[in-house]
Amino acid sequence: MQPSPDAAALLSTIAELLDDELLAAVPGPLQHKTRVAANLCRILEREWTTGEAAAAAERARLAELLDRPDLDTAALRAELCTRIRAGGPEATSHDVWEVLVAGCRDDLAIVKPGHDGWEGR
Amino acid sequence: MSDLADLEQGLGRFLGERAGETVRVSNLVGSTAGARRTNVLFDADLPDGPRRLVATILPTMDIQINPITAEAAVRGLAERYGVPVPHLRGVTNDSSYVGGPFFVSDCVEGETIPRRVLRLVHDREIGERVARQLGAALGRLHAIPTSEAPAELVGDDVADPAEQALAGVEESIRTLVPDRPAFAFGFAWLERHLPPPPDRRTIVHTDARNGNLIVDADGLQALLDWEGAMRSGDPMQDLAWPALRMWRFRYDDREIGGFAGREPYIEGYVSAGGTFDADRFHWWKTLGTLRWGLGLAGQAEAHLDGRFRSVVMAASGRRVPELEWDLLMLVRP
Repeated sequence: MQPSPDAAALLSTIAELLDDELLAAVPGPLQHKTRVAANLCRILEREWTTGEAAAAAERARLAELLDRPDLDTAALRAELCTRIRAGGPEATSHDVWEVLVAGCRDDLAIVKPGHDGWEGR
Repeated sequence: MSDLADLEQGLGRFLGERAGETVRVSNLVGSTAGARRTNVLFDADLPDGPRRLVATILPTMDIQINPITAEAAVRGLAERYGVPVPHLRGVTNDSSYVGGPFFVSDCVEGETIPRRVLRLVHDREIGERVARQLGAALGRLHAIPTSEAPAELVGDDVADPAEQALAGVEESIRTLVPDRPAFAFGFAWLERHLPPPPDRRTIVHTDARNGNLIVDADGLQALLDWEGAMRSGDPMQDLAWPALRMWRFRYDDREIGGFAGREPYIEGYVSAGGTFDADRFHWWKTLGTLRWGLGLAGQAEAHLDGRFRSVVMAASGRRVPELEWDLLMLVRP
């Protein structure tokens, strides 16, 4: 077992270094990359903290939707893709859409919090 | 890019040869607009007086969709039909002047960076005006007889532009995101709602979004970046592209580029002779959203397989859920 700080705390520390100290010091062309790198650290920090629970929730939703509790997440995703492509009821189902929206919401909570605020056209 | 003294000399020589007399060039400044191209602002003493000009220079090895001469020609054609564009002063494929093909245009003052454009537009409360002007600009472009399209402009008449676009994304889904059901679901929607071939084909700009516009306090001044223009496309493809959420830069409730809702935009379009088709518009908007998601996945792929190692390209992969969300909202059953 690794001692403290854990991965989330270290990623947060690297993000602070990039944003608060390095950004002002790097030449112009590198500033965008520096911001992107800092943002990636914050994404990984959130993924470290909540990613496991989100993955478990996704698996549970897909297993129930497809009635295949025996499959792992990757196999469940592949199975759903196959059924949608085959043009069965999954391709137009509101239940399928709801499950995809819920999964996407969890993904966004890690990579772009707030992006799910828009539901319009 | 060569240094500023070489550029000054090369631009002076180019303009001088065209004018038939010596043209003095001065006050060169590199500009930020344009990702791959270099824009250089400068003053030139032309025979008809001093002018602030801009040279748009391509890297020599760049892969252009259209040859730069075709891009300049379609822009000139659009100008004659009342589309706001920077007036062209000259174009050449000859790399001997400034190290790459380039064109020279009148400098148009205003903002081009999307967030700055939106700050200006909303400070001045001219969002509806800009949306209407953009709609009118596209309406005028689409009113040009396709027989007048420059001979070397790309984009031959395809039987069905929507069907062709759909086949393209199907292939990319298979290779880039075969395991992401949101793409499969979005694709199935596009397949079911495929519109019939358009009644009318027009010259299309293909990228008339916030970011390719010059806007000042009076509104839209110019539509830029005609590199991807095509001689024959579905006008609703052109009209829908600026409506993607991606181009609103957080002004999510303003469908058209973060400027305003679609009403003034469509009014402008119709007033300039365009015909709006809501279903076809929505289809192309959805297609564009899905395709942008594939573009991001493709950037991550290019990073991972070593074609283009970059932290920005890597980060694009983690932007895919943004487009999945937008796509799902557009295809809600």
